[in-house]
Amino acid sequence: MSEMTQPKERLLIVCPGRGTYNQAEWGSLTRHAAGSEWLSRFDALRREQNQPTLSELDGETPFRLSVHGRGDHASPLIYACALADALAIDRERYEICAVTGNSMGWYIALALSGALAQDDAFTLINTMGHLMQTSLIGGQLLYPWVDDQWRPQPERRRELLALIETLHGQEGSELYLSIELGGMLVFGGNEAGLKRLTEELPPMERFPMRLHQHAAFHTPMQESVKAEARTRLPATPFGAPEVPLIDGRGKLWTPWSTDPEALWDYTLGEQLVTPYDFTAALRVSLREFVPDRVVIPGPGATLGGAVAQALIQLGWWGLDSKAAFQAMQQSDPRLISMGIEEQREWLLA
Amino acid sequence: MTPFPLEARLFEALRDGDWPSPAQAWSLEQAGLTAPALVELFESQVLSRQLDLHARRLQARGEAFYTIGSSGHEGNAAIAAAFRVTDPALLHYRDAAFLLQRSKQLPGQTPAYDMLLSFAASSEDPISGGRHKVLGSKALNVPPQTSTIASHTPKAVGMAHSFGLWRRLGEQGGEWPNDSVTICSFGDASFNHSTTQGALNAAAWAAYQGAPMPLVMVCEDNGIGISTPTPGGWIEQSMRARPEIHYLSCDGLDLLDTYRTAREAERLARRLKQPVFLHMHCVRLMGHAGSDAQQAYLTPQQIKAFDARDPLLYSAGLLMRHGVLDAEAIRALYEHIGQRVAEVAEVAIRQPKLDSAEAVMAPIVPPSRPARRQPAESKVDETPATMARLLNQSLYRLMAEYPHLVMAGQDVGRKGGVYGVTQRLQARYGAYRVIDTLLDEQSILGLGIGLAQNGFVPIVEIQFLAYLHNAEDQLRGEAATLSFFSKGQYTNPMVIRIAGLGYQKGFGGHFHNDNAIAVLRDIPGILVACPSNAADAVGLMQEAVRLADEEQRVVVMLEPIALYHSRDLIEEGDRRWSFSDPGPEHRLPVGVPGQWGEGRDLAIVTYGNGVYLSHQARERLEAKGIALRIIDLRWLTALDHDAIQRRVADCAQVLCVDECRRSGSVSEEVITGLVERGVESHRLHRLTAEDSFIPLGPAATATLPSVAAIVERAEGLVPRQIASKRTATESRT
Repeated sequence: MSEMTQPKERLLIVCPGRGTYNQAEWGSLTRHAAGSEWLSRFDALRREQNQPTLSELDGETPFRLSVHGRGDHASPLIYACALADALAIDRERYEICAVTGNSMGWYIALALSGALAQDDAFTLINTMGHLMQTSLIGGQLLYPWVDDQWRPQPERRRELLALIETLHGQEGSELYLSIELGGMLVFGGNEAGLKRLTEELPPMERFPMRLHQHAAFHTPMQESVKAEARTRLPATPFGAPEVPLIDGRGKLWTPWSTDPEALWDYTLGEQLVTPYDFTAALRVSLREFVPDRVVIPGPGATLGGAVAQALIQLGWWGLDSKAAFQAMQQSDPRLISMGIEEQREWLLA
Repeated sequence: MTPFPLEARLFEALRDGDWPSPAQAWSLEQAGLTAPALVELFESQVLSRQLDLHARRLQARGEAFYTIGSSGHEGNAAIAAAFRVTDPALLHYRDAAFLLQRSKQLPGQTPAYDMLLSFAASSEDPISGGRHKVLGSKALNVPPQTSTIASHTPKAVGMAHSFGLWRRLGEQGGEWPNDSVTICSFGDASFNHSTTQGALNAAAWAAYQGAPMPLVMVCEDNGIGISTPTPGGWIEQSMRARPEIHYLSCDGLDLLDTYRTAREAERLARRLKQPVFLHMHCVRLMGHAGSDAQQAYLTPQQIKAFDARDPLLYSAGLLMRHGVLDAEAIRALYEHIGQRVAEVAEVAIRQPKLDSAEAVMAPIVPPSRPARRQPAESKVDETPATMARLLNQSLYRLMAEYPHLVMAGQDVGRKGGVYGVTQRLQARYGAYRVIDTLLDEQSILGLGIGLAQNGFVPIVEIQFLAYLHNAEDQLRGEAATLSFFSKGQYTNPMVIRIAGLGYQKGFGGHFHNDNAIAVLRDIPGILVACPSNAADAVGLMQEAVRLADEEQRVVVMLEPIALYHSRDLIEEGDRRWSFSDPGPEHRLPVGVPGQWGEGRDLAIVTYGNGVYLSHQARERLEAKGIALRIIDLRWLTALDHDAIQRRVADCAQVLCVDECRRSGSVSEEVITGLVERGVESHRLHRLTAEDSFIPLGPAATATLPSVAAIVERAEGLVPRQIASKRTATESRT
């Protein structure tokens, strides 16, 4: 009886972007989704396009960054892994209260919220991955503006933004803010711009970090990709999400008032060419839906840091440092990365 | 959660399909709305309602502190949708749905969380930081308003005027785009307030002369003010034929009619730049506030009739009728939002509260901002002159140095002020920068506040101190509180010149010689300066403008009329009260008193006319061997008591000469400050005005301190001192 009346825990689903499927993740799709009907459909869709299937990439083709890291392979692989995870969550114990995502994770969020059917999302993701890979305009670079305890240093952030403003336009440099990623900024630009930026930034641990095989996503440099995408995907059947969906500006799309045309327009428009504010997406998700836990489905655990940094910025759950975050994760892990098998297990039926 | 009666009525309608029909039957297309947009409006209405209901639940738990809600007024969501997010909106307290709807125009907002933080008076509340439950947002261009009835309407007129002024200067220098429209809402009861009537009149007065006035005054008419009904048709009859104001009316229970009409209001205000009165008919549900038992003054039938006019019923009916949502979806939407509000509330109520006086008071003084003063070529005329003359020279210079400085007041332009202080300014700087206003002090101060909020540095003039009093709330309730209630995010820095105080020769009577300034001195954050001579007047005026420009302060410059044209001190023609212009860099900082002389027998602490009188007395006293000094306070607020104590510490006696009334005047504070610092009370004395009004004719100064009284009092104090010194000397020998 008591189990019956136990309220469900409310989860915020945060879908990951590119760069999360690496050597360690190879094989995980096969482990979690082999034999599923939807994966067969995805494989069939890939065959139609003369692309290696996801089952092959994950189960047969040995991992190579130059292959698996390509946009046209990595994007659908990450989507499939995230989908497998989301489907595995025990809905008797957990309720999904809202869905959001980072960068390419926005497309996954469309699927997991129900705004796009699984196969339609697949077509969108596969097409966009292909477009990005074939055009590969510019690249991305990552740099933090938090201290070693992940506490915000707003002055550093302002300096970084001022720096790209200064460098932009010098000696053929193009530089833009691409993603607000918790305690980090992702910059997008052309080679000249990224090179200048790398020279200007003081090295700190792994940073500045170039993101290989990434284009200058979410910048005006993607205007041509946007035009192509709108031509290729004019009739993608967007609908209203089944659970609230928060986009890369922090805009809330509800199950009742969503205008599918506007959702299409944002996804294949503004979203591609203006900065993606993942921090705003998290802020709105957390404050307006107060989830019990935050769950990152899909491969790897790299988005966890950015989420934790955003939590610290917001002072959410009383967190004010990396140490406090780690202590919370030890005692009651409220950020769950399903790419980590042990954490994934917690959510399964 | 047990449903409230209103909810039960909604659920019943959902079950039975029993929907009220609005008077109009607009199609979505006629109204200019898409189906998703209509649902979005409904979501704002439902969120507003659920927040109202939950505020009451939280209050019952001791977790929330404000229950004046928006129930019945939720149609204003459709008004919000008709305007730009950059149009400043001054909202009254039943406009939560407006704010919630507007938040959808700017992604990244967290309106439910923010609103619940404000219910809980949390210091995390992004607009007031837990200081009041206000509707406001910096990002959404909604400056918070107080609950003072309609006191925000004059500044809405000022704000609307500011856009045209920026265009005239050829700049986009303000907080809001120059093609903005100001929205200002109030209820049918506050419509009757003189402040609203004054604001409507000022807007019409300006528009009548062709001045741009892009202003939409939204009167949300629920038919009752707490317990007093608004007479049927009163608002419409009052406004329909008002010159220069477009009158539009809409059914606030019908989102389509409201949106359609609000769009027309927006068009008129933005394109024609003319004022619009948008009369939204609505209903008040659940009483005035949580504490208001409306059954005490309404019959059960009346309450039932109100409830039957719930706008949510009408909106749900529209959604059904237009095939947008079915009953099941509407119920799911309603419950989902209710559930979300309850869940968010549990987090919001645990956020920190203000916990000290220091934390509460932090934003009374606004944050600083970069100076905008520009170098201006000006030759300083050093010919000794009167206060009126040097003030005029200083203002002339300031208007050149601060291109965003605007002057306004009755008769300040063509006439150059009653006492000539603003002569030549309009001819030099144009009628748009030196504005002759209508005769209404609330509107004058409102104009200043509105201009200041949109980036100008206004100097407004109140012609006589006695005229301030009918408009004083514009300073007390509005100008002084804006930074406080917005955590310093919104400010209205300005200088208010007030001619006042007694001793005028030949122009008597209370209303031109008023000496009641207590009303200015107890307002937190406001600074009051009072010059005693021409050179100080320049230093104080230049500092006042700097304080407004850089430190965003509201500064009152109390100018003693009797000293405006004083040239001589003792004898006619001695020119001893004429002073040289100290130049543009001369500024007298807050809290630093002036001092004349070093005598130690007596310190006279005074200000304004008191300084002049004390100088006259000084001649006689020094002739009698009394060595004295005169301390000129210069600033009548933010007194530096330690500085005053240091200035008088080595004096045998201290006499505070105060030309204002014995009760409530600055001398009370000066004496208290000295006592608190250990100055023995037998050394402290006051000579003040009587607690009286000022009469006409020969008796005009009878109730005020005079030179003779100062001399008499000083002689009475010092001989004792000298005598006691003598006794001490004799006993030693």
